Amino acid sequence: MALALPFPALQRRLGVGDFACIGFLLLMIILIAFGTQIAPRDPLAFDPMHSLEAPSAAFPFGTDEFGRDLFSRVIAGTQPTLLVALAAAALGVLFGTATGLVAGYLGGAVDETIMRVMDTLMSFPGLILAMLVVVMLGPAPMNVVAAIGLVFWPRSARLVRSVVLDLATREFIDSARSRGESRLFILTRELLPNVLMIIVVDFSLRVTSAILLSASLAYLGIGVTPPTPAWGLMVRDGQQFIELAWWLPVFPSLAIAVVSVGTVLVGERLRRSIAMPGGDRAR
Amino acid sequence: MTVIAFILRRCMLLVLVLIAVSVLTFAIVNVLPGDVATAVLGDMATPQMVEAVRERMGLGQPLPDRYFAWVAGILHGDFGRSLQHGQAIAPMLLGRLGNSAILGGITLAIAAPLSILLGVLAALRPGGVMDRVISGFAVGTHALPEYVIGLLAILAFSIWLPLLPGSSLMDPNENPLSRPEALILPIGVLVIGMLAIISQVTRVGMIQALASPYVRTATLKGLPRWKVVMKHALPNVLPPTVTEIGMYFGYVIGGLVVVETLFSYAGIGQMMTNAVSYRDIPTIQAGVLVVAAAYGIGNLCADVAALVLNPRLRG
Repeated sequence: MALALPFPALQRRLGVGDFACIGFLLLMIILIAFGTQIAPRDPLAFDPMHSLEAPSAAFPFGTDEFGRDLFSRVIAGTQPTLLVALAAAALGVLFGTATGLVAGYLGGAVDETIMRVMDTLMSFPGLILAMLVVVMLGPAPMNVVAAIGLVFWPRSARLVRSVVLDLATREFIDSARSRGESRLFILTRELLPNVLMIIVVDFSLRVTSAILLSASLAYLGIGVTPPTPAWGLMVRDGQQFIELAWWLPVFPSLAIAVVSVGTVLVGERLRRSIAMPGGDRAR
Repeated sequence: MTVIAFILRRCMLLVLVLIAVSVLTFAIVNVLPGDVATAVLGDMATPQMVEAVRERMGLGQPLPDRYFAWVAGILHGDFGRSLQHGQAIAPMLLGRLGNSAILGGITLAIAAPLSILLGVLAALRPGGVMDRVISGFAVGTHALPEYVIGLLAILAFSIWLPLLPGSSLMDPNENPLSRPEALILPIGVLVIGMLAIISQVTRVGMIQALASPYVRTATLKGLPRWKVVMKHALPNVLPPTVTEIGMYFGYVIGGLVVVETLFSYAGIGQMMTNAVSYRDIPTIQAGVLVVAAAYGIGNLCADVAALVLNPRLRG
């Protein structure tokens, strides 16, 4: 697990908050991996006898218009909601890191060209760019991953580049160069380890925005198709029944709220443990 | 550098950005795998239907020709025809842009001063009760998508307590200001979304400003606390805050799309999400371009405002 990396600051004793964070992450991993098996009922099975039932002991979150158990759907929805977000954040940070390293270290015309492309990508509001890309590629989880990755790419690239620009003037890079090391060696063995912490923190921030972005896309009906129990889509479908059956939009909404606030708190703790240079909680 | 020179330079930059944005928009629509005609028709289309649509949309011509024809049309106020309604996109776009501007403008007018005030209050005693409440609220609401806040607001204020309309459904040509009660919930949700970001940015700037030597001097001079904060610290905090507000316009626009869809408010965001369900690619393409342009202009305004607020840069 990422947390087991030898961060100097993590060698202090772990407190209640740390265990809460680890517990939260474990719970999420279990729900992503085994959500469908854990769910007490089949999240896709219709049961016309029990349609639109209010929350009860048998159906803790109530049932939808087809009699599907909302509790099971919310549990099974963890995977389609979160896996996309995690993959998108990873993709964006991966591409961003590679681009930022190359642009920052090579400089000159390469840097100029790359950064102007990044600027163009950043001239779109994130949701709008993701929306356009998914609409053109078609509704599929991989396409949502690609679209959100594209939104994050320039933002991560800028961050990594700014750090590399600073690192590139240091002595250890000079000495590597005079040792005759190749560019590839300097990029991957000298620079990359030094930006790793920042990448980890950036990734933790991106995960939260990816959850919000992908859930917003799903809510707008973009990227996922019924009957996938993605939370955003469940909110969208449940909204029309809000006067009749408040539980339909509310429980998936709460699931999104809990998970995104959870990831914010985990990221916050991670950031404070790593002690970002000049890092304040608001940034 | 004078303000005028700065504005001119930023305007030229904006033109370059808009050209780049139009190229990228066109490229995403036309070069990505996934053919426009197939995207319009869906997976069920027969090859003959795809061919007919390709013919009608002029997709057979070379890409550069099509790009220049598209841009030339836009410069003459012609955004093409909507596939869903069959009518010209431009007039529809204009009316809805106005509606979105009303929603976004009122939101900004309320959210900016309010969140700067909250940020200042939180910064007065970092770690104090006020700071914990405001910053906790900010972290919480920032992590919530607008539709979650919006749905809870609809449940609370329009269903459980039937005070406000839960939908702003209206004729696209109707003036939204004629039914102000239908604007309260959407604006409220957008304001909450913005409060989180701006109040935290202000808070950080204010904490730094309050720790600076000139504030200590002012305090030691015996000035009252409010005067130190409002007259000495705040003018230094405002310019970077305004720049940050500009950088968050993108989030605001995303929020606008979601909130318009949630409340069925006839703005440009709702137009785009409607167009998505009808696979109306020309309308989406036009919407994306206009929204990106609005984003660029918003950023420019924020930069100019920050400059005007900053006495040191005014020259």
